Amino acid sequence: MTRKQQRLILILSAMAFLSLAVGLILYALRDTIVFFYTPTEMAEKNVQPGTRLRLGGLVEKGSFRQGENGIIHFAVTDTNKSVKVTYKGVLPDLFREGQGVVAEGVLQPDGTFKADTVLAKHDEKYMPREVADSLKKQGLWKHAKDYGEYGADGAKAGKELTQ
Amino acid sequence: MLSPFLSVIGRDVKLAFRAGGGIGTAFGFFLTVVVLLPIGIGPDQALLQRIAPGALWIALLMSVLLSADRIYTADYEDGSLEVMAIGPAPLEVVALAKALAHWLTAGLPLAIAAPLLGFLLNLRADLVPGLLLSMITGSLALSMLAALGAAVTVGLRKGGLLISLLILPLYIPLMIFGVTASTGGQAGPDISTSSYLILAAVVLLSVVVSPVASAAALRAHMR
Amino acid sequence: MFNYLANPTRFLRLQKAVQPWLIAATVLVLGYGLYLGLFVAPPDYQQGETVRIMFIHVPASILAMGIYVFMAIAHAVGFIFRHPLADAAAKAAAPVGAVFTFISLATGSLWGKPMWGTWWVWDARLTSMFVLFLLYLGYIAVWQAVEEPHRASRIAGIVALVGVINVPIIKFSVEWWNTLHQPSSLLRKGGPAIDPTILTPLLWCIAGFALLAAVLVLHALRAEVLARRVRQMELAQVGRAG
Repeated sequence: MTRKQQRLILILSAMAFLSLAVGLILYALRDTIVFFYTPTEMAEKNVQPGTRLRLGGLVEKGSFRQGENGIIHFAVTDTNKSVKVTYKGVLPDLFREGQGVVAEGVLQPDGTFKADTVLAKHDEKYMPREVADSLKKQGLWKHAKDYGEYGADGAKAGKELTQ
Repeated sequence: MLSPFLSVIGRDVKLAFRAGGGIGTAFGFFLTVVVLLPIGIGPDQALLQRIAPGALWIALLMSVLLSADRIYTADYEDGSLEVMAIGPAPLEVVALAKALAHWLTAGLPLAIAAPLLGFLLNLRADLVPGLLLSMITGSLALSMLAALGAAVTVGLRKGGLLISLLILPLYIPLMIFGVTASTGGQAGPDISTSSYLILAAVVLLSVVVSPVASAAALRAHMR
Repeated sequence: MFNYLANPTRFLRLQKAVQPWLIAATVLVLGYGLYLGLFVAPPDYQQGETVRIMFIHVPASILAMGIYVFMAIAHAVGFIFRHPLADAAAKAAAPVGAVFTFISLATGSLWGKPMWGTWWVWDARLTSMFVLFLLYLGYIAVWQAVEEPHRASRIAGIVALVGVINVPIIKFSVEWWNTLHQPSSLLRKGGPAIDPTILTPLLWCIAGFALLAAVLVLHALRAEVLARRVRQMELAQVGRAG
């Protein structure tokens, strides 16, 4: 075998390996490692009580309630399914009804989620309040896909609520 | 091309099993890390059980990394590397053979032993098959990247620390996908197929990138 | 231009002529951008005044990735065309890129605490950005560990080229995986998701920080060229003496 043929074989096998790797990644990316599970995914995966995980979604409108002993109740929804969450501690500034949150904690036997950390997630849009209000008024408010039916007024309601 | 490839593997495997080959040292190091961990954490069996897969992965990658040094040092010092470089096979093929030999003598045996030693960390028995599978796969990439680090730092006086700084960041994706593949991430004990596929893809990438980059580094060191 | 700069003396002359103007432009653009960002831009409807961290965080992140890509390209050019200044440019850029990466991580952390409620999480975006910082450190360490400059340049080039795989991972991490970090606001389908009153100051800041990076890199490159010259003279002297 000449040196040239050797090189050709090496390059071809390297290309084959690389394309196989790319193929595997593209195939795997359809459903892969996640930072958090949505309520629907949690139901699909049939998560057992006692498992520690992160739960992500939107704070369901009208679900926020201040309970006894400083325990906070709210529900996390992905507009398809929702999970009740209990939490005791400080909420981040951005925590509002209709806003994205990621809660870290343990699934309880009764199907509720006991969080020990609550993080707020925000979207990639930035605008002054007046613009947000006028977009709202003209009915031009476009929701990010995470935000489903919730928008600026959910956020505002939540803000009043947490203040 | 094939016979020099096989003879390099054969030679390195033989050398590793002879006295002073370093296999025993890597095992000893692995055991020490595994034993230190529960002592550092204190009496909390539940916590230990939860972190056992990750801890075993860390012990595995540290042991593989610390045994990487021997891949090229001796051959570089006594000049056999120069002979291999002008030999019939391209240097890339030699680099692939050396990395594979390291996997056969360090990565693979440690990957097989690690889940079995998991009982020291109170590892859940149902996690053992997944951990075994993902560690055997992932350790190939660990050895490939360790060999790359060894090639980049061969002949440097400050090589030991540099190799860790260069290679540990590249181990992060292996660690992430390896651990989630073996434990199913947060959701449960089932093996996560997609994480395993990405782990396999990273392994394939490393099999291509490591020999090419190692050969380039070795040429730079020998000119 | 490319071939013209292959001569280090010409580069030194050109750099000397350009530098004052570049510094002036940096002061003006960056000053104007920061003024717009910190005083003129309106607070965000959700995040209020905190959004102003963006005017430092976003340019620093873009430059952190951009400078690494620049280094990889410079080394590729050095390997292929044997351009004598290419690897020196990459070496000069590395500390600047590392500092921007650090600024990006630090400001992101300061932003994360009030908004998300945490200084740090290990999601895909933050982790890959952290890896970028480690890659910068490794790259710089290689230049310091290898004494012979020619060898150092080749080894550093290998490190830069292998590490560049991480840059697309950082960029697309927020789309491939669900992360706590929000998706891209600037380079996204359907144009930037930022209102013009906030977008304009941001673009000025990006331009300003980019100019600052250029000034710093060119200055460091000048120092590197001079250092190599000194080394050559020393070698020649040793040669004559021996």
